[in-house]
Amino acid sequence: MTDFDVIVIGTGISGACIARELTRWRLSVGVLEKGYDLCCGATKGNSATVHSGHDADHNTLKGKYNVLGNAMYDQLCRELSVPFRRNGTIIFAASPAEETELVRLKANADKGGVPGVRILTRAEMDAMEGTWGSDVRGGLYAPTGGVVCPYTLTFALCENAARNGAEFFTNREVTDIRREGGRFIVTTPAETYRCRYVFNCAGTHADDMNNFVSRHKITIIPRKGSHIILDKRLDPYVRATLVQTPSPLPGGGHTKGQGIQPTMDRTVIIGCEARDVADKDDMATTPEGLDDVLSYFRKNWHLFPISRFYPSFPQDLVIGAFAGIRPHPTTDDYILGEPEDCPGFFNMAGIESPGITAAPAIAADLVGLAAARYGFEPNEAFDPIRRVRKPFRDMSADERAAAIAEDPDYATIICRCEQITKAEILEAIRRPLGARSVNSVKMRVRAGMGRCQGGFCSPEVVRILSEELGIPMTEVLQSGSGSNVLPYEAGIEEGLS
Amino acid sequence: MTEKTFDLVIIGGGCAGMAAAIAAYDSGLRDIIIIERSPLAGGVLRQCIHNGFGIQQFERDLTGVEYADAFLNEVNKRQITLMTETIVLEITPDRSVLACGSGEMVLIRAGAVILATGCRERPRGALLIPGSRPAGVMTAGCAQRYLNREGYLVGKKIVILGSGDIGLIMARQFVLEGAEVSAVCEIMPYSSGLTRNIVQCIEDYDIPLFFNTTVTRIIGDKRVEAVTIAEVDKDRRPVSGTERRIDCDALILSVGLIPENELAIQAGLAMDKATGGIVADNTLQSDTEGIFACGNALHVHDLADFAAAEGALAGRCAADYVRNGRSPKGQVLKTEAGFGVRGLVPQRIRLPLDEAVRIQFRPASRYTNCRVVIRSGDRVIASLKKPILTPGEMFIREIRAADIDGDIHVEVVL
Repeated sequence: MTDFDVIVIGTGISGACIARELTRWRLSVGVLEKGYDLCCGATKGNSATVHSGHDADHNTLKGKYNVLGNAMYDQLCRELSVPFRRNGTIIFAASPAEETELVRLKANADKGGVPGVRILTRAEMDAMEGTWGSDVRGGLYAPTGGVVCPYTLTFALCENAARNGAEFFTNREVTDIRREGGRFIVTTPAETYRCRYVFNCAGTHADDMNNFVSRHKITIIPRKGSHIILDKRLDPYVRATLVQTPSPLPGGGHTKGQGIQPTMDRTVIIGCEARDVADKDDMATTPEGLDDVLSYFRKNWHLFPISRFYPSFPQDLVIGAFAGIRPHPTTDDYILGEPEDCPGFFNMAGIESPGITAAPAIAADLVGLAAARYGFEPNEAFDPIRRVRKPFRDMSADERAAAIAEDPDYATIICRCEQITKAEILEAIRRPLGARSVNSVKMRVRAGMGRCQGGFCSPEVVRILSEELGIPMTEVLQSGSGSNVLPYEAGIEEGLS
Repeated sequence: MTEKTFDLVIIGGGCAGMAAAIAAYDSGLRDIIIIERSPLAGGVLRQCIHNGFGIQQFERDLTGVEYADAFLNEVNKRQITLMTETIVLEITPDRSVLACGSGEMVLIRAGAVILATGCRERPRGALLIPGSRPAGVMTAGCAQRYLNREGYLVGKKIVILGSGDIGLIMARQFVLEGAEVSAVCEIMPYSSGLTRNIVQCIEDYDIPLFFNTTVTRIIGDKRVEAVTIAEVDKDRRPVSGTERRIDCDALILSVGLIPENELAIQAGLAMDKATGGIVADNTLQSDTEGIFACGNALHVHDLADFAAAEGALAGRCAADYVRNGRSPKGQVLKTEAGFGVRGLVPQRIRLPLDEAVRIQFRPASRYTNCRVVIRSGDRVIASLKKPILTPGEMFIREIRAADIDGDIHVEVVL
């Protein structure tokens, strides 16, 4: 039995924000993650948008925290040295019905206090982004919309929380929570934890956590969405986030707002669709999901200004696809705070889109509330700053020369597509909460995430992991336990040794 | 940062780059440097332990490793500078080459540059195969490196998608290593590899090869457990009802090679979408003076020998350029790809010509009992009867200088 003041369940954007907020107070904080690494769920796979808040209903928690969270991003990303850019969002209309919808969105944005939102004429849109397709009639501009890499931010939050004293444990799936003598007993197969407070940030599994301890049952439905990544060659032609207005369908329902957006890694992301699924951990891409995205963009590519440079959808510049799983609450709004029958247990549940944007504000409020209610003492030593070296690929020639002079491993480029050096890969392994697998290296420093998708560098990353972790090559994992990249030594017959 | 100057900088020390250096040296140039990423020159040949190399170039049947060593010997004999473990980050149109390696950044001002950067394999992501992302899915070249350079086998029950040459060669090698190759699936009705590899690597080992078939799903959480394969219709869409599951522990991809040209693109050189390489003239020079390309970086070759021969041409032409200080300023003709012709090289012909021009392309599809007709202006200069043309085998034809006086047009006539 391990004791903590607080246990946080989950290390997606929610758990990471909560963990960091908790370290502002004098508390012992344990953070449990069921995956092989931090950030393995909903946060890993989404559009990377920092939403302005124009579309979330201003009367809901989603709407409220979207606007509040968005406003926190500049300072948060500065403190954590995470790249963030307010590239603006343009919602465009290609039919009269969509134009009407823009007016409704504008009114919603104004009521919610979204800064600077305005209707654009076609001429203004052309001046901002280049010439749009002839069917495009107008748009709505939200200047506070932005892009961030959600897992880079999440790793940074966790790392900063760890620097400030939080302890993180991976491969800890919570199988039971119960109350016992004013404490919570949190069970995982590997270890049992006892604590005064629990923060439930378990993503698609947050309903299970709540339902262990509260009579007020909640239901989270896993909702899958597919995204496709395009080569960074297209980056110069995509500036703002461009989304077609979701419009009501004649037979009921809405069209899905598909869009195109730059990423902080200079690739371009397109998507997405949404489908409710049965399995809460199923992040496999499906033919239907990919087909939805592809057929939308094949059909509507001409609407986007990029079509002036690439007249048809550039299938040859597709470098990858992923599906994300979003925790959709049946209440359709975020489920926050203590159930009335379970004081000390804080839900941060149903954090679907705009969850990446809203999470910092929700976490600040929830932890603030807990601190006031339970009288937490401030942690004077809390340091909000995370110090990291600029990635080699973003350095000037002089900065590169200086980095190499200090550490010759900067001169060895392992991932040629993304220009990731050996020094950076070693750093990803050696940092607090460091990488232990090929995918963990990839998520932290992008080695293998470029156009060759690790074809050239994965053998080198495997070798570095083997040397650095002091394990045989055959034990290097791609992701979690059992995912050995190289299961067999060549020339060795089974049963002989 | 160290600054250097060289008459000729060759980027890439595979067979094309080394052949270029040797040829440039032999035509009189001395101030030559080859920049190579790996500790040892040879490129991907270092992981090719199979034979079949050098039959054209050395009239001997060598392994890839021996073939690379044969070139490296020639380079060393001439004492050509070889800068290994160095990667070029950037080139500029005025031929500054920024490189990083051996513990420092180097800026080289070059009289001429030859891009011999080879190619990369098309990865899973580009194919959008649905399913999970377990360990055990990788390209054939990656599996080849693990096996031949590192000594590890990536699976024991293997499905191969695509019939590119590396995939075919790996199919045979997996069997020789004691693994089972359950299926090689090719989405097209014909192989994209060489006929000799189909015979020697697939048929001789009774490996099941399915045409018009693709992988429609990858199954497995930690490692690959199975794939679903299905037949495709003429639009290459899976036919429902034909899916079947094959249990396997690795899925190996051999679905195409893409010339590596990030340096050329970044420098703003004109590119050809069909080849994935630069737009080259008959001297293999780009639209930017003094920058040349050869080998798989220019267009993907069938045989290392062809890449090396092209390297030698680039080396000679770059040496001429350095000696003259400029390109000849004659008329520039175009070459046009007609029906059935993809990736025609060279894209331009610069007059006057002092040697024959080697016309190369890949047939767009498989054609039987056809002709390849080459025109200069309105005049037919070659009409070649071909019992079979297939995308897996490059069409190559030398045209005499005297025959070329107008734009070249090449087409397949059925």
